[in-house]
Amino acid sequence: MTAYPILTVITFLPLLGAAVIMVIASERLARWIALATTLATLAVSVPLYLKFDKTPGAPALQFIDKYEDWIEIWNIDYELGVDGISLPFIFLASVLSVLCVGASWTAIRTRVPEFYAALLVAETAMIGLFAAANLFLFYIFWELMVVPIFLLIGVWGGPGRVYAAFKFLLFTLTGSVFMLVGMIALLLICETLDFRALAKETLEPGFQAWLFVAFLAAFAVKVPMFPVHTWLPDAHTEAPTAGSMILAGILLKMGAYGLLRVSLPILPQAVQLFLQPMLVISAIAIVYGAYVTLAQTDMKRLIAFSSVSHMGFVTLGIFTLNTSGVEGAILQMVNHGIISAALFLCVGIIYERTHSREIKDYGGVAKAAPAYCTFLALFCLASAGFPGLNSFVGEFLIISGAFQTTAWLGSMAIWGVALGTTYLAWLYYRVVMGKMNPGLAGLQLELNARELATLVPLAILALCLGLYPECVLSYLHVPVAELLPSGATP
Amino acid sequence: MKFADMGDLALIIPELILVGAALALILAARRIQNTPLVAAATVFAALAAALVSVWLLSDAPKTGFGIPPMITVDGYSQFFKVLIASALALTALLSTKRIEALQVRSAEYYALLLLASTGMMFAASALDLLTLYLGLELATLCSYILVGITVERPRSNEAAIKYFLLGSFASALLLYGIALAYGVTGATDISAVASSLTSSGPENNLILLAAIGLLAAGLAFKISAVPFHAWAPDAYQGASAPVAAFLATASKAAGLAALGRVCLVAFGLEARVLFAVLAVLSMFVGSIIALTQTDMKRLLAYSSISHAGYALLGFIAATRDGTEATMTYAFFYVFMTLGAFGVVIALGERGERLDGYHGLAVQRRGTAALMLLFLLSLSGIPPTAGFVAKFVVITSLLRTGHLALVLLAVLAVVCSVISAFVYLRVALLMYMKEPQEAEPSRCPPAVAAALVVAALVTVIGGLLPGSLMLWVVAP
Repeated sequence: MTAYPILTVITFLPLLGAAVIMVIASERLARWIALATTLATLAVSVPLYLKFDKTPGAPALQFIDKYEDWIEIWNIDYELGVDGISLPFIFLASVLSVLCVGASWTAIRTRVPEFYAALLVAETAMIGLFAAANLFLFYIFWELMVVPIFLLIGVWGGPGRVYAAFKFLLFTLTGSVFMLVGMIALLLICETLDFRALAKETLEPGFQAWLFVAFLAAFAVKVPMFPVHTWLPDAHTEAPTAGSMILAGILLKMGAYGLLRVSLPILPQAVQLFLQPMLVISAIAIVYGAYVTLAQTDMKRLIAFSSVSHMGFVTLGIFTLNTSGVEGAILQMVNHGIISAALFLCVGIIYERTHSREIKDYGGVAKAAPAYCTFLALFCLASAGFPGLNSFVGEFLIISGAFQTTAWLGSMAIWGVALGTTYLAWLYYRVVMGKMNPGLAGLQLELNARELATLVPLAILALCLGLYPECVLSYLHVPVAELLPSGATP
Repeated sequence: MKFADMGDLALIIPELILVGAALALILAARRIQNTPLVAAATVFAALAAALVSVWLLSDAPKTGFGIPPMITVDGYSQFFKVLIASALALTALLSTKRIEALQVRSAEYYALLLLASTGMMFAASALDLLTLYLGLELATLCSYILVGITVERPRSNEAAIKYFLLGSFASALLLYGIALAYGVTGATDISAVASSLTSSGPENNLILLAAIGLLAAGLAFKISAVPFHAWAPDAYQGASAPVAAFLATASKAAGLAALGRVCLVAFGLEARVLFAVLAVLSMFVGSIIALTQTDMKRLLAYSSISHAGYALLGFIAATRDGTEATMTYAFFYVFMTLGAFGVVIALGERGERLDGYHGLAVQRRGTAALMLLFLLSLSGIPPTAGFVAKFVVITSLLRTGHLALVLLAVLAVVCSVISAFVYLRVALLMYMKEPQEAEPSRCPPAVAAALVVAALVTVIGGLLPGSLMLWVVAP
């Protein structure tokens, strides 16, 4: 379809940029190189979306870059490819990376070259993960992601950054070593790690159950599912704005993507076996996460806990195992990536001026910064699932999928939506409305041009996906139909 | 019986090269003392030995020196010889910086390194328990002197004495084990011991069991597996950093080679439980104690203890696959550990303290990036060689399909989370803290060259693991 290996290029272009930044090692140039690299990556990826064949008969995996017998003794090829599920995430990763560079432009003042290098390495890991066509590459990018994020939190984070960074490391590595064992077991039994070949294998049910648990250990931590979500509030809160954006925007999606890529197609019987517990855990995450969110006094922590609740919707949708649930879950992953990144960006923008994340230090911001408050309102509404904005469609699909499975699950989800509206409205009320907090007097709170430029694309995306969700959903119909066990109700 | 003919000598050309170089250095010591020539000669001798080792393998495997033969040239022995020679060459390069600072007589120092490597190579190609013992003993005796070679430093003397006391005890255990095995089977030849084992079976022969236990204990000391590890941290800390690097890499590789030869031929399945205990203890004790270290050489010592546990996993699988896994592990371990020690050496005195790494990324960007690479590799994070090493040993365990071994694999990966903390803590110090000390002096070209080689192996090994696999052939 294209004359050059487009996926390899967009995966490793950021890595090249990181290398250039480290070699040149100039503070001033680092920002510009990072911006140029992320923009170039986004630009190069455009043909992917335009030329992707969405018709039902088209091959599932497209734009394949294959280098046979990369590791011959294990029968592993180097192979990248995208299908309808991975495509939106590659887009999301490349857009958010550009915005992360923008968000860090003035916020990061120390170790500037290293910061942008870490950011770009993270971008390589994100794109590579979604483009990986076999489990081995998937694992490599999965682990590669841990290092830059660990450094982003630990070096450029807030006061509790060391604790948060090590907690993040402990949780994610513990999860992923079990995935390593599961992956090796799969390699030994099936003698391949190619996703398509693995999906065709029929594994013995008992073995499937063990593998499901091993992979769940890795995926559940990243999603994060209840009760292994406790690293998330610390990591999100302490990370610099760009780190929080990547964490919330992409890293959390990696876990759910893993469920879709590995658990559902390769271990179908185990999924059936663990279906009820997974649904219950998702419902707990939605409601429990929402209640904990209500109690938060720190803005970043509040958004972090809301992510637990929102990702509960995603896992709920995935495990409904019907078309509307799974499509809704994938759409909601994209939506959450946009909105939570935007909310973290909003908090980061105001934090840069006030150096406080405590809600009580704010109040009456609307008078000083009307444009900022407009964007904040838009993203809060989007996050709460307001019709016309993106989350509405995703949550609607998930809830309708849940009602098709069991009614009480749908009711829990609706309860979660109600609570979500409450904590977001209350956050907005406390920060924006009322009398101006005296501590804010004299501060220049309004957005500048650069910040406006980072918020506008996210706002456009939130509106587009809300008004025309088919622009993502149209990619999903074919792969999701293939993913679900035959005979599933549409 | 003609004990050895001239043709047999061809089998030990690599060893002869090293011995020749050592003797030449000692003879010419007065003329070339403290000139760059000494290090250069050592590096060339090591490279020549490595090349000849590969060249000797071009024909079918050969054996020689007596009937039954005492020395073999097969893929296994040559693999380890190349590895030992590479470790020697890199250590020689790394030594150039410290040797002048410590006022050590360089010709003797390098001659000892060469002789120690000779002993290790003999141990790697031994088919007879006595040859194995002699080879290891030659290496160990040279190591005692190397650890204590900076006579003016009390710490170095103390380390040498500790190492000597514990080391001679371990050698005695090894020798006692060999004697018991000889007493029961009437042979010191490894394959003869093995065949009499299979005919009688060890479970009804307490003396043989004791022999196996003693042999395993003696060899476990050489690779510093827990509970025979206590010498390593003290010896590494007291020794100068290049010597510590040499002990951690070449010495450990030779110990693994010897252990592998003995296990594979003779005591494979019998010693499995024993090794499993050693491996689990080493992995966990090594990584947990490493968490609390503030001295970089001690930290790397505990890290090497933990890695010894991982390397043993392949032998526990007791399959051809498992041996190849341990060989791969040993190979990558040697290079990444030499790299980490190389950074320690490059930073001088500062590099030996953990707080010396504060803010290194600001002052020495390149060195910090290299250290990050080695640390990631040591913690087994892809796409580095350390990950491939971890991958192959876990694969070999899972391939056996035994439930106990699968559990062992799970324990191993859980332990790798702990060790990741050890290494990434150092990484965080380099990048997070503000520098508190003056910039380290510039890295000499020889040290830089060694670091680059180690980094290349670490990266290429991680990206193209197949490149090494051609060479890894179990006997």
